[in-house]
Amino acid sequence: MAQYDFKKITVVPTGNDLIDIVLSRTQRQTPTVIHKGNAISRVRQFYMRKVKFTETNFTDKLSKTIEDFPRVEDIHPFYGDLLHVLYNKDHYKLALGQLNTARNLIKRIREDYVKLLKYGDSLYRCKSLKRAALGRMCTVTKRIGPSLAYLEHVRQHMARLPSINTGAPTILICGCPNVGKSSFLNKITRADVEVQPYAFTTKSLFVGHTDYKYLRYQVIDTPGLLDRPLEDRNIIEMCSVTALVNLHAAILFFLDLSGSCGYSISQQAALFHSIKMMFRNNPVLIVCNKTDLQTLEGLSGEDLKLVMEMKSAALKTIPGQGGEAANDQDVLLTMSTITDEGVMAVKNAACQRLLDQRSERKMKSKKMPTVLNRFHVAMPKPRDQKERPVCIPQAVLEARAEEAAHEERKTEKDIENENGGAGVYSASLRKHYILADDDWKLDILPEFLDGHNVYDFIDPDILQRVEELEREETAVEEDGGDFEMEDEDFTAEAEKDLQEIRKRKKLLIQKHRIKKSTAESRPTVPRKFDKDRKFTTERMGRQLSSLGIDPSRAIERARSRSVSRKGRKRERSVGGDVLSQRPLGEVVPGEGFKDSAQKMKAVTMARNATKKRNKDARRGEADRVIPTLRPKHLFSGKRSIGKTDRR
Amino acid sequence: MPQGDYIELHRKRHGYRLDHFERKRKKEAREVHKHSERAQKSLGIKGKMIAKKNYKEKVQMKRTLKMHEESSSRRKVDDEVQEGAVPAYLLDRETTTRAKILSNTIKQKRKEKAGKWEVPLPKVRPVAEDEMFKVLRSGKRKTKQWKRMVTKATFVGPGFTRKPPKYERFIRPSGLRFTKAHVTHPELKCTFNLEIIGVKKNPNGPMYTSLGVMTKGTIIEVNVSELGLVTPGGKVVWGKYAQVTNNPENDGCINAVLLV
Repeated sequence: MAQYDFKKITVVPTGNDLIDIVLSRTQRQTPTVIHKGNAISRVRQFYMRKVKFTETNFTDKLSKTIEDFPRVEDIHPFYGDLLHVLYNKDHYKLALGQLNTARNLIKRIREDYVKLLKYGDSLYRCKSLKRAALGRMCTVTKRIGPSLAYLEHVRQHMARLPSINTGAPTILICGCPNVGKSSFLNKITRADVEVQPYAFTTKSLFVGHTDYKYLRYQVIDTPGLLDRPLEDRNIIEMCSVTALVNLHAAILFFLDLSGSCGYSISQQAALFHSIKMMFRNNPVLIVCNKTDLQTLEGLSGEDLKLVMEMKSAALKTIPGQGGEAANDQDVLLTMSTITDEGVMAVKNAACQRLLDQRSERKMKSKKMPTVLNRFHVAMPKPRDQKERPVCIPQAVLEARAEEAAHEERKTEKDIENENGGAGVYSASLRKHYILADDDWKLDILPEFLDGHNVYDFIDPDILQRVEELEREETAVEEDGGDFEMEDEDFTAEAEKDLQEIRKRKKLLIQKHRIKKSTAESRPTVPRKFDKDRKFTTERMGRQLSSLGIDPSRAIERARSRSVSRKGRKRERSVGGDVLSQRPLGEVVPGEGFKDSAQKMKAVTMARNATKKRNKDARRGEADRVIPTLRPKHLFSGKRSIGKTDRR
Repeated sequence: MPQGDYIELHRKRHGYRLDHFERKRKKEAREVHKHSERAQKSLGIKGKMIAKKNYKEKVQMKRTLKMHEESSSRRKVDDEVQEGAVPAYLLDRETTTRAKILSNTIKQKRKEKAGKWEVPLPKVRPVAEDEMFKVLRSGKRKTKQWKRMVTKATFVGPGFTRKPPKYERFIRPSGLRFTKAHVTHPELKCTFNLEIIGVKKNPNGPMYTSLGVMTKGTIIEVNVSELGLVTPGGKVVWGKYAQVTNNPENDGCINAVLLV
């Protein structure tokens, strides 16, 4: 009476994965640091904890798997048989048994090694024991690898089995391959089963749901059956047989009258007779499909006889009801899934038969009287013979009449329905516009004009404004005055001059800015950066003369100061003072030095103080330095401890 | 809910997404980069495991590549030498064959007499007494130190009962008592879990032998009846010697090699 759902089984990991999971868990979730110097009891505890933790994890995961998988004996025999057919009950049980054994072995390993760890007297010994324990547990798990793989495979297949409620009213469809069972299912339910012209398109059971008289019925489609002895049947057919045997349902046996499925009527009849044992107490209906190709009346005599035989056999399944003639129609039905004729009739007949049977059964069951006792429909007893019909007040009747009259007005909805419905007809919203001239209703308003959006300029008072503007214009025209024009129209020459003036202005500003910084602070361009040799004295002379100044003295001065002149010393000595020719360290009485050493010191200090300033425009030690803000060694690489979220 | 092979059915009916194959191809191409990123960024034990796995694969790949490479170098080819083949200079000599087939038991008996054994582990590290025993203090004031507890694996026979606790000098804790050993047959290369019958000789001294202490190198006698060995005479062999090859106190089990 339960709805079985095999989708909730947890995924079964493979052997190696299981080992990885458990061992990495142990490594992450138990303390990792222990030293030789720690107290031996602490060392022991540390390693015992690891062994216990690993065992717990293994046991948990294996137990979960063992419990999730259904036991073949405990579930409904239909599913038990189905599991046996699909996965081989013995193999299934063995695999689960192996997992169980593994679980017990791991428990035993943990007990043994925890006992041994109590005698561990050194860190090395405890560590070796823990290593041996975990290693053994992992070996056990490795050995059950194939079982785990098999169980995972089974789980994946089980999750896709149809979930059949074994207690709900069910209709079972069976018959030869290709007779039209799946098409019938597609017709009456929303199950979208594949329908193809080749046999054994349906390879397993499929479930659909349909309603009849406020009840939900399950319709189960089975793969086709061939007329073979039970031992020879393959897995696909066995699924079908399992459903037939174990489920209590109305059985629809499909017959293909035309023989287009590849099997003649005699073959189909033979199949029917060989499986009629399995019907037992279930109501049976024989459905003749594909009547568009071949009708029941058009059958040959022999075929008709076979069909009637089947019908009589089916009639026998009706539990001892009198009046067989009344039920005649319900047992043999014809339909065609392509033309849809008779499909609903078949469904209704099947549902009705099943409903009758189920209600009868319920009536006969022991619980019925207790339930019946709870029902009581109370009807008021008539106290006199007076008739009391229905009473409706007059006002209501009038209102109703008015409404009926009013219905003549056509609503938008009606227009819509007339013109094709919601998706086809779009209402014209313009027909109720209020405009000055009704002809403008259907005009198309332009969206762009002269590169502008028309909607930007639409204003409620736009007309007013236009009028104002017009008035102004006419007023101006009458005046004949000229406006202040903001932008003059320049001639080409005037434009060029303007550009020139602007350029000159910019240059002047730049120059002024350079000049503002004194010669001391701004770098002069050393000669080595003047590769083009632009800064020559000739150039200077030219520039000066263009300004109206005589350049000769300036050039002389520049040349005399330049370093590349040779023999300067000689020059100086020729024109120099004889008096000033003295040795450097000689103390002159008026100067105030104590001795020649002091004077030398003074001379050195003077020289150092007048050292030429570095104006090479290169960075010195006093200049601002921009360091490497992101040194590579701090911003890349792994950390041995901690995370690298922040650096 | 979807039933049966719904994925294949959907594929059959509707085909694949328009960009399915391209996405698949690109995802697979990206896998290589992701693999490398994971290998570079993983820290700690995980990084080491990934590195180990990658190294194994690398070695495997190198081997296959080498195998497939055609080498033009000449290699020495050793022709199989036939059994009993004799070099040319030894031909025309009469070799005497002194073949006396002795039975295994007789060999063993002789060896026993001589006291000489050919064992897999001829030398073992000597175990000091303070390593073997732990001193237990006893007495009212815990000053007496004559009791010793054995810290190594021991074997006591099936009918063992302790001496009265007051008088027992050497305590063999039950947690360290073993009855079974994992014995490997050196020729068959397979391991059996066999019962120990007794400790024959402990290389560290006769005292340990008498106590039944099993350390590395100890000769033990095991019950080999499950191997089904039979003497030429027709008797079933049920006890054989084996030598312990591991440190049982560190591994929690006794591994031994059968002495054939």
